[in-house]
Amino acid sequence: MDAIIQLIHVSKWHARRAALSDVTVEIEKGEFVLLMGASGAGKSTLLRMLIAEEQPDEGQIFVHGKNVTKLRASEIPYLRRKVGAVFQDFRLLPKKSVFDNVALPLIVQGASEKDIHRKVTEALRAVDVDHKNDQLPSSLSTGEQQRVCIARSIVNGPVVLLADEPTGNLDPERTREIIELFKLINARGTTVVVATHDPHVLKYVNRRVITLVQGVLLAERRAGEGVGG
Amino acid sequence: MRRLFYLIREAWVNMRTNRTTTIVAVLTTAFALACVGIFLLLYVNLRNAAGSLQEDVKVMVYLEDRLPSEQVRELDRTLKTDRMVDGVLFISKAQALGEFRVQFPSESHLLEGLGENPLPASFVVTLAPSFRSPDAMKAWVERVQTMEGVAKVDYNQEWSSLLAGLIGYIELAAIGVGILLSAAAVTIIGNTTRLALLARQEEIEILRLIGATRTFIRIPYFLEGAVLGACGSALSLGILKFAVELFRQQIQLTGRFSGIEGMISFFPLSVCLALVMAGMGLGFAGSVVSLLRVGDGRA
Repeated sequence: MDAIIQLIHVSKWHARRAALSDVTVEIEKGEFVLLMGASGAGKSTLLRMLIAEEQPDEGQIFVHGKNVTKLRASEIPYLRRKVGAVFQDFRLLPKKSVFDNVALPLIVQGASEKDIHRKVTEALRAVDVDHKNDQLPSSLSTGEQQRVCIARSIVNGPVVLLADEPTGNLDPERTREIIELFKLINARGTTVVVATHDPHVLKYVNRRVITLVQGVLLAERRAGEGVGG
Repeated sequence: MRRLFYLIREAWVNMRTNRTTTIVAVLTTAFALACVGIFLLLYVNLRNAAGSLQEDVKVMVYLEDRLPSEQVRELDRTLKTDRMVDGVLFISKAQALGEFRVQFPSESHLLEGLGENPLPASFVVTLAPSFRSPDAMKAWVERVQTMEGVAKVDYNQEWSSLLAGLIGYIELAAIGVGILLSAAAVTIIGNTTRLALLARQEEIEILRLIGATRTFIRIPYFLEGAVLGACGSALSLGILKFAVELFRQQIQLTGRFSGIEGMISFFPLSVCLALVMAGMGLGFAGSVVSLLRVGDGRA
């Protein structure tokens, strides 16, 4: 199997506190990985580094064969087009319709009108909000807003999907639905990394779990197994 | 196509969302550029006036008394073949006396007692338009002054130099005021762009995260700056045109300085378009200044 994400001895300090400490990890192409840890464990820092929003103080990061730490500023947008991102607060544009929000990554890339229409419709159908494409995000429930956010992250067919606390604002039933959606996306070949502090998520996923504690990679296991060294 | 439409729409949305700031920016830019425009108008009109007045500037080349007609013809030929000369008119002693009597009939008796006609023969020379500057005229006069048979060369040097000096000062003032107020316009539009950026920081952040390039993020703001600059410039031209018409009307109504209203001209259409383009450029520059660090790939 090919590693699509590689972190090699990565460390990062925030105001003299180690956000990540000597983390080395590989994620294979097509994997579904849960990144577990309490708030402040370094999960978000790790995800931000994967899309070059932050740079490590030490170590190397490779995503889809590119050394993220060595990318020029002008190359970063092209990395981000291959890596979809889902956020806890959805980050939807409030004055744009659901359709326009999802179309944004395609517009940015200069896709044709025809492609935009086809791909946005497909993405909205995949997350089951295609019937709401003319509505504004504010008129949707939190679960639906998260689905729109997911549709936006997959609309241009990314190789990796990163989700930072995607269920943080959702009730258990919506959480299960969203996790099922990620599993579906993963089943279509996209590598999925979900960062969460919510242990309930483990109930719905029987996949690889990476646990971070205060910036240190504590253990790797499969969901349902005990914490191993 | 959709990308282009998106960028234009975003620029429009920016302006509509920050309506008050946009209007204030256009108005202040318009007044700043109108101040520059006043100096430009003054400069253009004085140049025109100077040009038309300089057309009337004649150089009088007085000849020595009793100069043989052969030498007069030789001088006439020399002057007519001079590349700096546009026209030459010979006035004989008798013609000069006749003109004196016509122009000053009450003083013509003064010449009666002298017996012989004391007025010299002369050439009235009109210089070519490109040689009517004070320096060129002075050089030409100095050259002709040394010619054999020439007694004296006369022209209104002081008046010509004064006008050229005045135009020079206005030109300098226009450049100085232009630079200062253009910088002010750039700052005003730059601040408007900065306010728009602050209002849309979250949106910019989202665009960065989904892979928008620095250029894609900036284009709507560049467009906004250019549109604000162009609108400000067009409005300033409107204000100036109104002021010029009002001035003309006042002259006609009061009757003072009558005749000069015909000499006051506004910028031709080509200059108006160039000024709108310049305003557009200033607005664009304002946006560029405030966007220098926006849209960088790294956080």
